[in-house]
Amino acid sequence: MRALAPRGTGLVLVAPALVVLAAVTAFPALWVVWLSLQRRVPIFGIAEFEGLRNYVYLAADPRFWSAARVTLIFTVVSVGLELVLGLMVALALAGQRRGLRAGIALLLLAWALPAVVTAKLFEWLYNPAAGLVNYLLGGARLNWLGDPTLALPGLIFADVWRTMPFVALLCLARLRGIPAEVYEAAHVDGAGPVATLLRITLPLCRQILLIAVLFRTLDALRAFDLMFILTGGGPAGTTETFTVYAYRSLFQTLHLGLGSAIGVIVFALVMLVAWGYLRALGREGIAA
Amino acid sequence: MAAAHPRGRHRIRGVTRLAGLPLLAAWLGLVLILWGCTDGGSPSGPVTVVFKHAKLLGPVDPMPPLLKEFEATHPGIRVKAESLPWSSDEQRQFLVINLEGGNPGFDVMMLDCIWVPEFARAGWILDITDRLAPGELDAHFPAAAAAARYRGRDWALPWFMNVGLLYYRADLLAKYGLRVPQTQAEMVAAIRRVRAGERNPRLEGYLWQGKQYEGLVVNALEAIWATGTEVLGADGRAFPDPGRAAAALDFLRGLIEQGLSPRWVTAADEEITRRAFGQGEAVFLRSWPYAADLFELPDSPVRSKVGLAPLPRHDAGTPAPGSTGGSHLAVSRNTRHPEAALALVRFLTGERAQRMMAETGAVKPSRPALYHDPALVRAFPSLPRIHDLTLAGRPRPVTPVYVMLSTVLQPELSAALVGVRSSAASIAQARRQLDFMLAGLEG
Repeated sequence: MRALAPRGTGLVLVAPALVVLAAVTAFPALWVVWLSLQRRVPIFGIAEFEGLRNYVYLAADPRFWSAARVTLIFTVVSVGLELVLGLMVALALAGQRRGLRAGIALLLLAWALPAVVTAKLFEWLYNPAAGLVNYLLGGARLNWLGDPTLALPGLIFADVWRTMPFVALLCLARLRGIPAEVYEAAHVDGAGPVATLLRITLPLCRQILLIAVLFRTLDALRAFDLMFILTGGGPAGTTETFTVYAYRSLFQTLHLGLGSAIGVIVFALVMLVAWGYLRALGREGIAA
Repeated sequence: MAAAHPRGRHRIRGVTRLAGLPLLAAWLGLVLILWGCTDGGSPSGPVTVVFKHAKLLGPVDPMPPLLKEFEATHPGIRVKAESLPWSSDEQRQFLVINLEGGNPGFDVMMLDCIWVPEFARAGWILDITDRLAPGELDAHFPAAAAAARYRGRDWALPWFMNVGLLYYRADLLAKYGLRVPQTQAEMVAAIRRVRAGERNPRLEGYLWQGKQYEGLVVNALEAIWATGTEVLGADGRAFPDPGRAAAALDFLRGLIEQGLSPRWVTAADEEITRRAFGQGEAVFLRSWPYAADLFELPDSPVRSKVGLAPLPRHDAGTPAPGSTGGSHLAVSRNTRHPEAALALVRFLTGERAQRMMAETGAVKPSRPALYHDPALVRAFPSLPRIHDLTLAGRPRPVTPVYVMLSTVLQPELSAALVGVRSSAASIAQARRQLDFMLAGLEG
C-alpha cells in the first residue's frame, strides 16, 4: 500500500492539468453555449443576447429536422452494419493461420486512409458513367451521389468500408485472447459450431463489442468529412448531417449563434449517448 | 513500499511538498513567457510581409520567380508566402477564424471575389481607396472592379478572372449543318438533332454543374439572369420575381427530365463535367475558361473540335451573361506595414505579374489589355474570345450577405433540380430562411 500525500500537495500538483483542461475543454464548451443564446453575426458587428430564439427557430426549421433524420439513419445503419460485418470478418480471420497477417494489413489499409482520400476514391467508384460500382452492377447507370434516394446509402457504404476494420480489429484482438481450453471444453461437452458461437464466442466478445459501438456511435453522430467532400450535403440536403449544417452556419453564413445552437444540440446528444453506453458498460463490468 | 519504511516515507513526503511549489511556479512562468511572446516583433530591419494564398494550378508555379522579382525591385521588403488550404471552403474557414481573432499573422491575402464586400463590412480588410491612383481599378474588367467595390470604396485589387461560358462541339454542329445556338430552345433542338444522327448512347447533350455547392448557385444564377430577373432584389429581399426564377429552375429540371442533360449532373462539379466533355461524351458544356486549354492538349480526344460561345439565352431579346469569378488580393486591416503590403498587392495584380501567371496557363488575367497580347494569344488562341465573354460577364451579387444567400440556396436549388420539391416551393422555402438570416442586416 502506498501512503496518501496530503491533500494540499496533490491539488497543487494536479492544478496545471486542471487549469489546462478547463482552458481547452470547459471554457470553449461554455462559450459555445453562451454564443448559442445570442444573435451574433460578426460581419455586421451584431452581438445581441436573445435567449432561446435560435433554438426556437431550429425547432421549426425543416433543414434542422432533415439533418436530424439523416444523422439518425446514418448512425444506426452504419454502426449496425459495421458491427455485424466487423464481427464476421474477425471470426473469419481468427480461424486463419496463413492469411492472417495479410488480412490484417488489408484491413488496416482501409482504416488508415485519410478520409479525404477515401472520399475521392468513392467519388470515382460512384461515377455514374465510368465508376466501378455501376460496372459491377452490370452496366447500370445509377446516379449514386446525385439521386436523393441513393446518396445516403452510398455514403453509408463508404463509411462501413472505411471503419468496419476498426470493429474487426478490436474483435480479432479479443478473439485471439480467448484461451483454447474454453473451446476444447465446449467441444468435449458436445457443443456444435453454432452453439459455440452463441454461447461462448459472442458472450466473451460482448464487452469489446459494446466499446466498439460506443466509439463508432459517437463518431457517426459527428459524421462530417465523407458527406462534406462527396456530396456537400446534397442532393437536396439528403446527406446533410448535424455537423455539416453546423459547419455551414458557423463558417459559411457566419451566423455564430445559430451554428453554436446546432453545436450545443450535437454536444448534448453525444453526451447523452456516451452516458447511456457508459452506464451499460458499468453494469457489464460489475456482472463480469 | 514507502509504507514499510516510515522514515523513508516521511522524507519523500517532505520532498514532494517542497517540489510541488517550484513546479507550479515554473509552470506559471512558462505560461507568462508564452503569453509575452505573442506580442513580439521588432520594428527595425527589413519589413516582412506575410502573403497567404492558395497554390495556383498548372504545370509551373509562377509565384516563386514573381516574389523573387518583387523583393529585388523593393529593397527593404521581404515576402513570406504561406499557402492556404486547397478547397475554397477551407480557405474561407482559415481566413475567418484568424481575422475574427484580431491577430491574423498575415498582411496580404487572396480572397474569392465573392468574399470582398463581406470582409470589408466586417472590418477585416483595409480600405485602399485613397492609396490607389484615380482610375487604377478601371484597368481591370468592369465585373472584377465591381466585385472589389463596396459602399463606394475600393477594398481589393483583382488578381485573376473567370467567366461562365458555353463550350460546344464545333465538329458535330458542322456535321449536321447547325449554327451555334443563341437560345436555349436552339440548343435543345441542336442536341436532339445531333444525338438522333450520331446514335451513340454514350453521347450526352448539355453538361453543367448541379452538385449541391457554390457551383450550382452559379449555374442557377446564370439561368435566372437569362430570364431577366435577379436573386437579390434592390430592396435586399431574395427573389424579387419568384415566378421567373421558378421558370429558370424549371428549365434546368426539364433538361434532366427530358434526358437532354444526364441525371448525374445533379452530383457534378467542374472537373467531372470537364472530363466527360473532354472525352468527347457530350455536345455542350457550361464551364470556365480553364477548360479551354485542357481540351487543346496534344492527347485530348476533342482537340481542335471545341468552340466557345456565350451561354444560350432564355429568349432572344434578353442577354444571358456568364457569371464572373476569380480571386482578388486584399490587405489585412491589422497589418503593421500597410505600404509594403499594398506594394505587393499592386505588383502581383499588375500587368507584368498577370502576364507571367497567364503564360504558365494557370489562370486568366483580370486585365483586358492582356487578352490581345500577341505572345499570349499565340500560346492561347482562345484569349480574344474569352475577352469578349468576360466583358459581357456579370458578377454575382456584390453584397456582404452573398455567402449567406448561397448557403441557404444550395440545398433548395438542389431540391428543385432533383425534383424533391417544386421550383416554386424551393424558392418559397429559401425566402423564409433568408428572412430569418437577413433580418436586421443592412447591405
